[in-house]
Amino acid sequence: MERKNFGTHVSALYNQYLEDLFNQVLEMGGLVERQLSNAVLAVQNADLDSAREVIALDKLINREEMEIDRLCVRVLARQQPTASDLRLVISAIRIAVDLERMGDEVVKIAKLVINLAGFEDQSCRSLQGYKQLIEISARANDMLKMVLNAFARLDVKDCAAVIEEEERVDDLFKVAMQEVTTRFKQSDSDVECLLELVYALRASERLTDHARNIAESVIYLVNGQDMRNIDAERLSTLLEELND
Amino acid sequence: MSEKTINLTMGHDHRGMSLEQEKMAIEVKDWNLYYGKSQALKNVNMSLPQNRVTAFIGPSGCGKSTLLRCFNRMNDLIDIVRVEGKMYLHGTDMYDKRLDVAEIRRRIGMVFQKPNPFPKSIYENVAYGLRLQGINDKRLLDETVEWALQGAGLWNEAKDRLNENALGMSGGQQQRLCIARAIAIKPEVMLLDEPTSALDPISTLAIEELIFELKKEFTILIVTHNMQQAARVSDYTAFMYMGELVEYTDTDSLFTNPQKKRTEDYITGRYG
Repeated sequence: MERKNFGTHVSALYNQYLEDLFNQVLEMGGLVERQLSNAVLAVQNADLDSAREVIALDKLINREEMEIDRLCVRVLARQQPTASDLRLVISAIRIAVDLERMGDEVVKIAKLVINLAGFEDQSCRSLQGYKQLIEISARANDMLKMVLNAFARLDVKDCAAVIEEEERVDDLFKVAMQEVTTRFKQSDSDVECLLELVYALRASERLTDHARNIAESVIYLVNGQDMRNIDAERLSTLLEELND
Repeated sequence: MSEKTINLTMGHDHRGMSLEQEKMAIEVKDWNLYYGKSQALKNVNMSLPQNRVTAFIGPSGCGKSTLLRCFNRMNDLIDIVRVEGKMYLHGTDMYDKRLDVAEIRRRIGMVFQKPNPFPKSIYENVAYGLRLQGINDKRLLDETVEWALQGAGLWNEAKDRLNENALGMSGGQQQRLCIARAIAIKPEVMLLDEPTSALDPISTLAIEELIFELKKEFTILIVTHNMQQAARVSDYTAFMYMGELVEYTDTDSLFTNPQKKRTEDYITGRYG
């Protein structure tokens, strides 16, 4: 399936509706991508300006979700989409929800930077868990870029790569949490900042979950395959098929 | 921060305008119509926007075709019909007794449910209205016929057979020919009464696409039994029930969030 096929209806208006929907999802994705890049910078450099921009962007992102909903409702009510057109609308609704939640998770990471700046004790930033937070956030950002490209090009191979990456990041997250938990047990002075770190780590891991959800939505859009709630064996078979 | 602000109030496709912001072509004031003693239209008030497609939907007998026929005074031809109220086309009282009905019908053209080409050549069908007006200049006729056939999306199919009998065309082509015939005399308003109900799905889509194009030049009023068609082609939709105008608003709003229960019941197929 190619994107240009969505513009081949007899009705130019219908083509326009679907094109608008594509573009709106990509625009929203681009905003989340920018927000997340800012968050990575903020965490890396304890940069408060970047952290504040992350929070400001969230309002725009929330509005984008409403706009996507409106476009979906419009095309459903007025054009009665079927087959790939219908899958596009369903995917757009799901992707918009995931992107909006990603926006919220990115805000949590930015808040860590802002909150930590208020603490006297800055030892948190030297923890291994903090470095892992930077790494997971950066990898989430790469996943988001990749999955948005996959959506733009209707490319299921990139989606498979995102799903595989999410599983690897899960392992990294577990290691990071173990380290922070150990630190919790050893120390009672930096509990506050450790707690902040836990929240942010959790948020960064959730980002990769949402990126994976988006990858699954794109696969559904492209070939109608539902990738959710399947066992590991079946998943690896399907991923192999997608990579062929 | 993104420079692009999202216009959440943009409820439809015609540059986000609502009915209140439109320039109006036709005004209907306190309009009543009686067939003998039975009242078919009850106190209809509405303004129809220029260069837009307005669809009339509603169950059989709701008065939508009757109302459409009022716009070019087709009901004058029925003896038992009596009307009350006012209709204005760009401010002109359309029911002014001094007015020439033929002139009204020139300014407001009509296409019917069944394609009804004359048993003449394709060319003569389109040129008919112009000849009636006394235009016989060959060059002007040629130009207008081509323009009208282009406008009706029929030129490519018809240009090599202009002198063939129109009755040899397919139903969809005949209907587009009727549209070409109607637009050849450059009316201000086009009335379409179920223009696709006798056509196959692809011809239907071709006509719908044509309607979308034609609104650039004309104001289009369409009666349709097919609700999805109204949703697809129109900018504004009027829902009628038992002679009353129940709800009239932009098509997005009517099909996503109707304000009247009767509209909701009808468009969701709950109407008994």
